[in-house]
Amino acid sequence: MNLSAAEQRILDGEEGEGARKALELVIALGKIYGAEDLVPITSAHLSGVSYKTIGDGGITYLEHVSKESRVRVPSTLNPSGMDSVRWREMGVSEEFAAKQLHIIGLYGSMGVETSCSCTPYLAGNIPNKGDHVAWAESSALSMVNSMVGARTNREGGPGALAAAIVGRTANYGLHLTVNRAPTVVIEAEIDDDLFSHSLLGQAVGSRIGNGIPYFRGIQPDWEEAKIMAAAMAASGAVAMFHVEDHTPEASEHSIEGLEVIRLTNDDLRDAQESLSTVDDVELIAFGCPHLSRREVKEMATYLKDKEKRTDVPIWFCTSREVRDSLPAEVAILERFGTVLADTCMVVTPVEGMYSRTASDSAKACNYLPTLCSQKVHCDSFQRLMEVVL
Amino acid sequence: MIIQGRAISSGRAEGELVVLNEDFSFLGGVDVSTGDLRVAEGNISGKIFAFRRGKGSTVGSYTIFDLKSKGLAPIGVVNQTAETIVTTGAVISDIPLVDGIDIDVLRTGDVLSMDGDAGTIELPRLGLREVVTGIVTRGDEALFLRRSDKEHHFPRKWGGVSGRIEEGESPEEAAKRELMEETSMEAELVRKGEPFLVRGDDLMWRVHPVLFSGDAEPTLNWEHCDHRWIKPSDITTLDTVPRMDEVLMRLGLIRP
Repeated sequence: MNLSAAEQRILDGEEGEGARKALELVIALGKIYGAEDLVPITSAHLSGVSYKTIGDGGITYLEHVSKESRVRVPSTLNPSGMDSVRWREMGVSEEFAAKQLHIIGLYGSMGVETSCSCTPYLAGNIPNKGDHVAWAESSALSMVNSMVGARTNREGGPGALAAAIVGRTANYGLHLTVNRAPTVVIEAEIDDDLFSHSLLGQAVGSRIGNGIPYFRGIQPDWEEAKIMAAAMAASGAVAMFHVEDHTPEASEHSIEGLEVIRLTNDDLRDAQESLSTVDDVELIAFGCPHLSRREVKEMATYLKDKEKRTDVPIWFCTSREVRDSLPAEVAILERFGTVLADTCMVVTPVEGMYSRTASDSAKACNYLPTLCSQKVHCDSFQRLMEVVL
Repeated sequence: MIIQGRAISSGRAEGELVVLNEDFSFLGGVDVSTGDLRVAEGNISGKIFAFRRGKGSTVGSYTIFDLKSKGLAPIGVVNQTAETIVTTGAVISDIPLVDGIDIDVLRTGDVLSMDGDAGTIELPRLGLREVVTGIVTRGDEALFLRRSDKEHHFPRKWGGVSGRIEEGESPEEAAKRELMEETSMEAELVRKGEPFLVRGDDLMWRVHPVLFSGDAEPTLNWEHCDHRWIKPSDITTLDTVPRMDEVLMRLGLIRP
């Protein structure tokens, strides 16, 4: 590994033990993938926040790291295991809450911004095209690679934290232009709505694994792109996609000779059937990834003059920024369910509360069975709301 | 003997090996209050732990740190292929990690010392023997020889022309000499394959595959009792010495 003089100083311990250990980790991870040098980053987004996922081992580690380290670049956090304010309403235990708040406090003490969201690119942590960043959270990193043209690999929690501490990450994979070229063309002939993009992501991810798809036939807005990116990263390991005449790097690579996969509404129906394992549900959850301002407004418009007729609980998961900035719309949604911030249905201990959950997010429907022991029902917002209206 | 791998996490360790010849997830794969493996027999605390590759939840990195803070972690890790989860756990826990090592040649109970900065592992109690395995092809067939029961290693098993590389000899020269001794054949050297290790009980063979082409019939000496010309892909029908398929693969005679 070729290190600059500044990097060598860090490795020699001249900037403290915390920075030295962090750089050691960044270098070791780079070695695995054959990186020849490091690249400065402009921001980081960290996963490994929910007590449910990192456990006591994670707390021990964060206690250790936070004693001697601070982040050098703007860094944000992924959703935690609960709404930091409304956790009692969610049914989260006192013990879980205490440990969760401790974790967030440890990140905060290192200089990390502690509003917990999987959509930091919508507010608070917005990279520019060409920026190198170190992001964990598979849907968010795919969005900044694809829709923004920033550059990040699929970082893990501790790796992204180490990168934030030293302001650098290993230069390999999607940091290099040559690895950002599409590997397969997807010709989509599908309905132009949000839920179809969720299922399209499911269908593509399960077919191409960790490839880079080049889409034709869709022009997704940010909401459609994020639910699709999330699904592709959950059913496969897609970290980047291009959309013809739409995403910033789509025209920068050749697609000559690539395999072409054609997907229609029939394929989406298959994807939906493969996800759904139950019809009657105990919980309906939206906001995987977190609902944007526009989505909250549209949902509020749709629900404004309606009334809820059954008592199935509904979660609307969003970021703190969105919840705080739209009090009138949030009040409408609150007539139907709970507007949760900082968390989501996948990282909260939902398995202690419910056993059958519905969502419009293919990503959530992939993870709810394995991470939360749920049977799931996957359908669109409108059709899921019809159940309770 | 010393095996060169790749340096991933720095530090040195010396101790007894626990080998798991499969992919491994620290989350769920080990009891964090005892260090006992859950997927196989054995306890990894204070041992050097060798397994193929990390898998499973990324939380596994924290599991390693948790074991370390309880004094129950392995003192070193050897992988066939390092990946993010185990690498992260090893680095944050100050555990040396070397990868690029063929786990097949390691055994539970081996005494091993490892150097995470040089990327080497050493098996001090194990001798190393450099040997050749020569394969002669004729058209689409290859010559296989059956070892006589006078042979100390692998009697009655099928193999190629084989023997030790003598001091100062190249693998090609050794193969040519053995070919003449064992079959009285002269054949044309085609190419040499990448060498690999084969594990014996108390020693390790480094096998250098060498490919010849020729059309003579072999005249066997005492070392062999039978010969056959068969298609390389039919090797599965013979009871062979260990890793014969690897020799054929490295010579490009069969596909992986």
